[in-house]
Amino acid sequence: MNRVAIAGVGYSTVGRNTGLTAAELATQAAKAAMEDSGLTPEDIDGLCSYCTSGSRATENAMSLGWMLGLMPASWVATTGLESAAFMHPALEAMAAVQAGLCDTCLVLRVIQQQPSTPVVLATAASSPPVAGDAQFLAPFGAGSPTQWAALRTQLYMDAYGATEEQFGAQVITQRGHAVLNEDALFRTPLTLDEYLASRYISKPLRLLDCDYPCDSGSAIIVTTRERAADCRKPPVYVEAAAFSAIQDLNFEILTDTGPSSPKLCSDRLWARTDLGPSDVDCAQLYDGFTIITMEWLEALGFCGPGEAGPFVEAGHTALGRSLPVNTDGGACNVGRRHGANFCIEATRQLRGESGERQVPGAEVSIFTNAFGPFAGAVLLTK
Amino acid sequence: MNTTTLFGNSSAVIPPRPAEDSLTAFFWQGARDGKLLIHRCRQCQSYIHWPRPVCRFCLATDLSPAEVSGRGRLHTYTSATQAFHPYFLERVPYIIATVELEEQPGLMMVSNLVGVEPMAVQPNMLVEVLYREVAPGLTLPLFEPATTRRGGDR
Repeated sequence: MNRVAIAGVGYSTVGRNTGLTAAELATQAAKAAMEDSGLTPEDIDGLCSYCTSGSRATENAMSLGWMLGLMPASWVATTGLESAAFMHPALEAMAAVQAGLCDTCLVLRVIQQQPSTPVVLATAASSPPVAGDAQFLAPFGAGSPTQWAALRTQLYMDAYGATEEQFGAQVITQRGHAVLNEDALFRTPLTLDEYLASRYISKPLRLLDCDYPCDSGSAIIVTTRERAADCRKPPVYVEAAAFSAIQDLNFEILTDTGPSSPKLCSDRLWARTDLGPSDVDCAQLYDGFTIITMEWLEALGFCGPGEAGPFVEAGHTALGRSLPVNTDGGACNVGRRHGANFCIEATRQLRGESGERQVPGAEVSIFTNAFGPFAGAVLLTK
Repeated sequence: MNTTTLFGNSSAVIPPRPAEDSLTAFFWQGARDGKLLIHRCRQCQSYIHWPRPVCRFCLATDLSPAEVSGRGRLHTYTSATQAFHPYFLERVPYIIATVELEEQPGLMMVSNLVGVEPMAVQPNMLVEVLYREVAPGLTLPLFEPATTRRGGDR
């Protein structure tokens, strides 16, 4: 993507039960990214958004764009209902700028905290019969994302002999990074014993393998390299991007008869750049569940197939080691921002803005999203 | 959380029910009849589960239910320890399994594995179907470890 750069990043207030509406979260995040870049609504002619609110006024990108003073726009794209997290609107924006459909595009991911378990149970108790594909899951007590994550975790452990201690090692490493991030929600160091004492949600998946539900608004501004050079912060360049979709959106019945989506995506990514895995100074690998980070480590070639467990257990993914991974602490510590945090953290690392957790001299970073049916990755340089 | 207060005796709570429709009713009726029926393309003979009105292998739209052996391989599994529906509150832990049916590589279905303790589950173990009526009019095809007596010697 020789035309595209990231010029601004920003967050809303993020936390549990903030009391903020989706519109407020979106507005805060958008203004933060504009402030970061020095750009104004008049400079922005595109919007790609993935906003989970239940309301058309914020779920539709045109409505959001109108609310935020971005109209008239040259390009809008609404992603939603189970898109590949932040990756989908981000790639829509990057592709649009690369193609010249627009020059400067705001990307928004807005999340409202999911209901608590008692509410989920009460809602389920009074729900009508389950329609569509979910009827082949719900009667068996299946369908929760935590359960498909557990299915994928078990499959990986059986294939490679990976241990719970190895998964714990990555969780502990990321908490260590969060300790250095004043923006993180969890900043107390974690021990392996504490990880192993955390309850199973669906064995072998533990509570601490899951991202932390919260309210969040995240924004970036994608623009041309020329325009980015004139912005407030140093530009961060999109060196390459790739996406792969291999099946319909059902993690539970992946056929597993061919290469995984992260592997296909990674192969495509490296074919589009002269850079390689050894050039990456820090990696931001999606961690909605720990297994996803493990699969990306292997898919991108940072270690061999089946080697992610020993790789993280040896500490290689910690700050100060060969490949710092998820340097902001990840979604289990900064809260669910659906991968937007990894784009923003990669950008800040390449700008040299990451404070105590800064990777010295970072010039190349990568952020990824999703696994299973679909996967996306973006390689960034300073 | 006091589940008794919230939901009464959860053993009386009905399980999640499928909304059977024109594409899926055969599967549930098959289970009630003690048969495992899977959508199959009449042109290229491929099985398609979950049901779709078109065969993704040859794009034929001529599909119909076909009975399969009910034997398969345990592809992956998890021991669910948290319930997301009140029916399962008193049934945790239970095993969710992805089973690869023997008729076709990658022909996966989701069910529960029963008749085995979670610690005794072995990856890739051979399994076979059984049927359990869990509520009036709702019979689930479940799986249990295959026995040689019942021909699980694929």
